[in-house]
Amino acid sequence: MPKRRDILAIVLIVLPWTLLITVWHQSAITPLLAARKCKDDRHESRRDSRNTFTLKEPCTSENNKDIVEVVRTEYVYSRQPPWSDVLATLHVITPTYSRPVQKAELTRLANTFLHVPNLHWILVEDSQRQTLLVTRLLQETGLNYTHLNVETPRNYKLRGDMRDPRIPRGTMQRNLALRWLRETFSPNNSNSQPGIVYFADDDNTYSLDLFEEMRSTRKVSVWPVAFVGGLRYESPKVNTLGKVYGWKTVFDPNRPFAIDMAGFAVNLRLILFKPQAYFKLRGVKGGYQESSLLRELVTLSDLEPKAANCTKVLVWHTRTEKPVLVNEGKKGFTDSNVEI
Amino acid sequence: MATRMKLKLKTVFVLYFMVSLMGLIYALMQLGQRCDCAEHDMPKDRTISRLRGELHRLQEQMRKAEPTKLPHKLAVKPAQPTIYIITPTYTRFVQKAELTRLAQTFLHVPQLHWILVEDSPHKTPLVSGFLASSGLAYTHLHTPTPRDRKLQEGDPSWLKPRGAEQRNEGLRWLREDRRGQPGADTQLGVVYFADDDNTYSLQLFEEMRGTQRVSVWPVGLVGGMRYERPVVEGGKVVRFHTGWRPSRPFPLDMAGFAVSLKLVIANQDACFDGDAPMGFLESSFLQGLVTMDELEPKAENCTKVLVWHTRTEKPKMKREEALQKQGLGSDTAVEFQSGIAMNQCPVINEHRFLFEAKTAQECKFARPQVQHQSP
Repeated sequence: MPKRRDILAIVLIVLPWTLLITVWHQSAITPLLAARKCKDDRHESRRDSRNTFTLKEPCTSENNKDIVEVVRTEYVYSRQPPWSDVLATLHVITPTYSRPVQKAELTRLANTFLHVPNLHWILVEDSQRQTLLVTRLLQETGLNYTHLNVETPRNYKLRGDMRDPRIPRGTMQRNLALRWLRETFSPNNSNSQPGIVYFADDDNTYSLDLFEEMRSTRKVSVWPVAFVGGLRYESPKVNTLGKVYGWKTVFDPNRPFAIDMAGFAVNLRLILFKPQAYFKLRGVKGGYQESSLLRELVTLSDLEPKAANCTKVLVWHTRTEKPVLVNEGKKGFTDSNVEI
Repeated sequence: MATRMKLKLKTVFVLYFMVSLMGLIYALMQLGQRCDCAEHDMPKDRTISRLRGELHRLQEQMRKAEPTKLPHKLAVKPAQPTIYIITPTYTRFVQKAELTRLAQTFLHVPQLHWILVEDSPHKTPLVSGFLASSGLAYTHLHTPTPRDRKLQEGDPSWLKPRGAEQRNEGLRWLREDRRGQPGADTQLGVVYFADDDNTYSLQLFEEMRGTQRVSVWPVGLVGGMRYERPVVEGGKVVRFHTGWRPSRPFPLDMAGFAVSLKLVIANQDACFDGDAPMGFLESSFLQGLVTMDELEPKAENCTKVLVWHTRTEKPKMKREEALQKQGLGSDTAVEFQSGIAMNQCPVINEHRFLFEAKTAQECKFARPQVQHQSP
């Protein structure tokens, strides 16, 4: 019969090991290991002569922060981040038209987009033919893009070159992009090719956080936009349950969707399942353009508020001044072959 | 019986020792490996593990792809000169937006150090917070412009030269910083004055990196023309193609030249003259540094436009003012700048032409908008 002393010894030996094994895969241990690994990364990057920038955020053991931190800083010297199979594709629709600042606007927009993974830029020109300027620019950036064009009909009665003022600018271009999406993607594959559609004008300013916020859109998500409606920012009103119940605007807050084009994103599935939804071309009152599309897609209660329940401003409706080209004169002082 | 007992205990201890040693080695090997995590029953944890695995895969892919994918322009050379960008900035509504998109451009440029100088008696929390999260290497400075040199409300933007004190402060810091680090390598660099509302293409920074003294290139949308540029003949700058006061010593825009760090340090007194007449700010700095035939033309002998002098409109805040008079202004806790109140009337703009037409009617008796003319 084994002595009590032996039993005690065996128990004392086995007990700590059983405890260790049961605790092994719990979260208490793995973050410790992750944090260790993180520190190793940091040391590695300092030694590496290419990554000379300092990681400003401290390495935390929380999983999410770990991911965002690394993605943000590691790909600086390459072009577009590699395509991921996990992230939803952001289809960004930008209408553009020829004017002196066009190349500048598209350049800095491209510089922004180059930071966003899984971005597909649908650039639609307001012109009869695709211009060389835009074609070359798109090729040089290395972004994943689709180049379309459609010309808004001109109204020759108004001083020759003006566009038809009854059609708000960019409408036909955005509708063409929607049509292209519906022709390219089929609703049956919507689960294997998740996508979000966003309308980005070429003169606005977007923070990189915005794109990550909109990636989780299930139907239509909304957020505040700065410098619209004559206010510092316009935003949706969100109640304590996290649902949108109104609009915090001064200009006609009774619109069905009192939001700017840059203030919402739509899930691609919704666009494909409602193939009749387009922006209304004519007879649209000022500020009702967005409503003309959204009311066919979703109701107010289905809206998902983003940007910390619509309390942070992540997109600014900046407008670029029209450059004063008085010194060009009638014949043009500068060489027209130089592209600006 | 006793010996068997003793033996048994000894073997137990030896066994225990071996098992714990192997366990320890196993734990050390597991350090830093991807967690298998098949035991997680929480779907959130599973997603996180999957994403992490995906992320590591992408990173490895990138590390493998980097040496072959980079265009030759961005290839890293040993001891690549650092580009020091001096940007003056001031508080106004669009400040955060301007700085955001500027940072998004700079993040693509290797070996860049951003010197941001605020026109303010102290560092503002908006800029401090912004810089900390930007991911760039930066220096945050501040110096207020003296009152008599500041633009007053209603003044056109070309009335007084702006940013001179701030750029001088940037130069002062740079010189002091370099003084504390003697050595030939630390003098390798290029200084560029970038305003926060211009637009820069990535190619520009690679063009300026090889500056030996002062390099120049065309600037778009400036001087009342599509672009202004130096005229190059035989690889040297012979004159300047500009529509406004071409008789200036250096009829360039601030965005049209870069100076090598060596030259900046060698000429400790070279700085911007805040009292210089309009358009002579750049000349006041360059005059003491270099002569016209020493200038290095870039951008394919100054035939390509790689930087544009864009300007951002002041956002129309008429409704904000009306609201604030009623005490219902939009929440100022949402980070912003309280800018100068606007009294100008909005012009009809094509985007929201129907919306603006109403307010244009109200503006019938307002004073006419001051027309902006670029120098």
